[in-house]
Amino acid sequence: MKSLAGSVDDLLPSLLSAFGPPGRESGVRAVLRRALRGLGRVTEDATGNLHLHRPGKGPRLLVAAPMDAPGVIVTRVDATGLARVAILGNRSPAELVGAALRFEDDARGILGCDRPKSGKNGTEMEADQLFLETGLGPKEANRRFRVGSVGAIEDRPIRLGDLWCASNLDNRAGCAAVVAALRAAGSPRYDLHVIFSAQSDAGARGAVTGAFGVDPEAAVVVDVAHVDPKETGGAAVGKGPCLGLKESGFLAHPEALALVKRAAAGAGVSTQWLIRESEGSDARAIRAARTGVPTALVAIPARRSGGPVSFVHARDIAQTASLMARLLTTPPKSKGGRR
Amino acid sequence: MSRDAGPPFEERFLETFSNAVGVSGGEETVRAAVVEAIQDHVDSLEVDAMGSLVARIAATGRRRGPHVMLCAHMDEVGVMVTGIESDGRLRFRKVGGIDSRILVGQVFRIGKNGLRGVAGTLPPHLISRADRDKVAAIEDLYLDIGAKSREEAQGRVAVGDYATFDTTYERWGDTRKGKAFDDRAGCAVLASVVLRRPPVPVTAVWSVQEEVGLRGAAGAARRVAPDLAVVLEGTASGEAPGLAPEESAPLMGAGPALTVQDRSLMADARLVDLIERTARRRKIPTQWKRPGVGGTDAGRIALSGAGVPAAVISVPCRYIHAPAAYLDIRDARRTVALVWHLLHSLTKEWP
Amino acid sequence: MLRADERSTTEWLQHLSALPGTPGHERAAAREVEKAFSLYADRVERDRVGNVRAWIDGVGAPPRPRALLAAHMDRIGFLVKAVEPGGYLRLTELGGFDPRTLLGKEVVIHSKPPIAAVFGTRPPHLQKPGESERVLPVEELYLDSGRPEREVRRKVPVGTPVTLRQPPVSLLGGRIAAPAMDDRAGLVVLLRTLETLRQNRPAWDVIAVATVEEEFAAVCLGAKTATESLDPQLGIAIDVSHGDMPGAREGETVPLGGGPSLCVGGNIHPKVVEGLRSSARALGMTVQIEGCPMGSSTDAMDIQIAREGVPTAVIGIPCRYMHTGIETVEPRDVDHCAHLLAHYLGALPEEWRATEVLK
Repeated sequence: MKSLAGSVDDLLPSLLSAFGPPGRESGVRAVLRRALRGLGRVTEDATGNLHLHRPGKGPRLLVAAPMDAPGVIVTRVDATGLARVAILGNRSPAELVGAALRFEDDARGILGCDRPKSGKNGTEMEADQLFLETGLGPKEANRRFRVGSVGAIEDRPIRLGDLWCASNLDNRAGCAAVVAALRAAGSPRYDLHVIFSAQSDAGARGAVTGAFGVDPEAAVVVDVAHVDPKETGGAAVGKGPCLGLKESGFLAHPEALALVKRAAAGAGVSTQWLIRESEGSDARAIRAARTGVPTALVAIPARRSGGPVSFVHARDIAQTASLMARLLTTPPKSKGGRR
Repeated sequence: MSRDAGPPFEERFLETFSNAVGVSGGEETVRAAVVEAIQDHVDSLEVDAMGSLVARIAATGRRRGPHVMLCAHMDEVGVMVTGIESDGRLRFRKVGGIDSRILVGQVFRIGKNGLRGVAGTLPPHLISRADRDKVAAIEDLYLDIGAKSREEAQGRVAVGDYATFDTTYERWGDTRKGKAFDDRAGCAVLASVVLRRPPVPVTAVWSVQEEVGLRGAAGAARRVAPDLAVVLEGTASGEAPGLAPEESAPLMGAGPALTVQDRSLMADARLVDLIERTARRRKIPTQWKRPGVGGTDAGRIALSGAGVPAAVISVPCRYIHAPAAYLDIRDARRTVALVWHLLHSLTKEWP
Repeated sequence: MLRADERSTTEWLQHLSALPGTPGHERAAAREVEKAFSLYADRVERDRVGNVRAWIDGVGAPPRPRALLAAHMDRIGFLVKAVEPGGYLRLTELGGFDPRTLLGKEVVIHSKPPIAAVFGTRPPHLQKPGESERVLPVEELYLDSGRPEREVRRKVPVGTPVTLRQPPVSLLGGRIAAPAMDDRAGLVVLLRTLETLRQNRPAWDVIAVATVEEEFAAVCLGAKTATESLDPQLGIAIDVSHGDMPGAREGETVPLGGGPSLCVGGNIHPKVVEGLRSSARALGMTVQIEGCPMGSSTDAMDIQIAREGVPTAVIGIPCRYMHTGIETVEPRDVDHCAHLLAHYLGALPEEWRATEVLK
């Protein structure tokens, strides 16, 4: 059987280049459907989430991995044929300067900015300072790029040694880890529901409806988190998956955290703590679903480049897959509390 | 597909609803006006736990689906009296998003009796040059109802009373002026649509407290549990002097505005596509609302339960969230027609 | 020593406000809260997210309507984020402290066993010019436990909760100042309400819930999930309201000793607040009316929009210096809130519903 690392290396390139900005995840859904063949029953819900159900004895467990990756939406096309965009998802405009974009009908463009990066008075750059160069004249541009056209970052992943360098690692790396874990896990000790969630980067929206539909007894979210080791207590790339203690709107539930820690210990995976102030994940939505869900977050650490790409260590992805495979195949201890 | 033009837009609804007072949390008067407009045309009618009006209308021919939720919000932005000073001046705070600069010098109608009050501050003669350029914070403003003491004021108003802009509906040409077109325009469109029995089962909801966090739509959507939802709004047009055409969209008079994406919602792509194709077939001009701006009840409804496909159709209005808004009556008529023909499209093309 | 059920309101305020229990770690207080509720409730249970629920079974004919009462169990605090060279500790906030009030204060680090520490400051003699003009945000503050670094690293893992250490202070007029009156004073109101209802059972079922994570996120986790689970016909949140002090404008505060404060506004169902005012009149009790134009910022916000919508109201306990270590309340106000609440619940007719069928 293929190693987890091998599984991830196979899955990642097609996941990275799949089209899937928040709300328009059709491309990545198709890639995931192919990858999930034979692993369980796959369905799609009204928000665009991709559900996999692997029935089994044991508590109902939800594993959630966002599948959307930030993109842009055209807000208008000006008289010279340049399109202006708003950003879909959690990226800053400055980071997207120079990004190559691909739109739903395969139209292409490159993002530039028409003022110095620091904006006026040295303030933060705004999305309105970006322009989409399409290479087309005004009439043609207006025809192909209408208001509301959605574009994804066209990813050209590079492997530098053990480091993946790509624009869509958040959270295609998480998706790859979950698929690899599913392939490696024989019979899960749970009634297992996996959601590859939609519109996560637009405010954990798919997680809200997906978790309501599944109504799980416990949940683990697998995501990518950008870290800065220079920050106090900051985690580092290459030092293992991060276990989320606190992030925007989410505090780890002790039982769910214990589940994940046991799995890490059992798989021989060393982990780091993650505390982040202003960023969040699907975890904040899932924990509040229905009558409440004990939820944990496992995050693959990533580093920003200041531009479109991020850096993720291949071993961190494989270790996350290993942790999750172990979690799925380890019988749960008792959980307490009324529903 | 429907061969008839559908129900007309009833302008009397727009006038009545626009003049009625209904700040977020105090929508009773608007609700009563809607009830009077539609009660004889719906099969059931109830007021839910938060005050939203929920009307169910069975389809012609007893068709069972798809079950469509049409929603417009009854509330408008305004202010609330939060304190009464010993000298009879009223302290007040915003309800919903209002540009502070429009408050000073504004006339308000306060409380159930519509007592008039003016939002005053020191005149230019009496303040320093530097202060004249500063925007007054609402904590420093007060409403003057002419009372000379707290006791006198307490006889006429109370903490918790709502106040709205003192604006009266007017018309000239195709232009209509009034307060609260966001979203009395949507309320009037919806009330016009339900005057005729639809081809699919419809639950029409006039929701409360949209302006303070899309709140009424939450419980209503859970209760209704529709197959899909269309929200009817009065949305900000982009027009202002000096802007290039592509910066000004949507334009008053250029037809209903369709939402692709806003801060609350990624509109369901298939539903938006159906709306657009329906408009083209029926030769109803439409335009795209600028992505990334604003939020509506549709954002809340889309996330209800296990998810609801949702879209937004808006009448473009100038100067929403300000005392006097404008709209083009033709856009209101077109919106009613578009909704009507969409309901017919759904009988053939959904899911 | 007094039996638990003989404690005065002042003693309950002192006892409950001293318990730890930051957002996400309310279990550190839950045992004691369960014990307290068990004195009067028919049964007490803990749910999946950690809410403590105490039931009073009503005497009406089943199926009886249910009233949910909510006071939040969590108190604002911090988590240890990192240990630095020298053994200094950096923190992340849970809930919103007033950072101006933290410098120099003592804290408890809830390790096993707990460790005392202090927010480090530089004495004026060593400060740069203008340094004392600047309020330090939480990221720039640090704790000093007076212990060597390796001991700190061994005993204090990342993620350990921290709370302010300030024993309750008795002020003149029976007033009492302590951390966490927000919302342990609300828990005392629940307790006193349960005590009365136990002796004088209402028609409705009443469930008092000590909720989790009210202070932390945009959504009050405990309030939302308890409402989903219990499906109440009515929800009332009991929390603190800003108490009077100089510099506040008319309408921004309510007087200490002025009795319960009732919110009005969108978050409040008009029939419920009218019922509370009616009960106050029947009791000859003074209440304050507080305008809440954009909601109450309490558990009631998330109770109201859960499920298919729930009629809600808020009872506010006047409290000065909110979100500091010296939150100040009057026990008399706490008693009046409980008295009012019990009377209102006792007067609720069984048939009362919030939805209205017109056709």
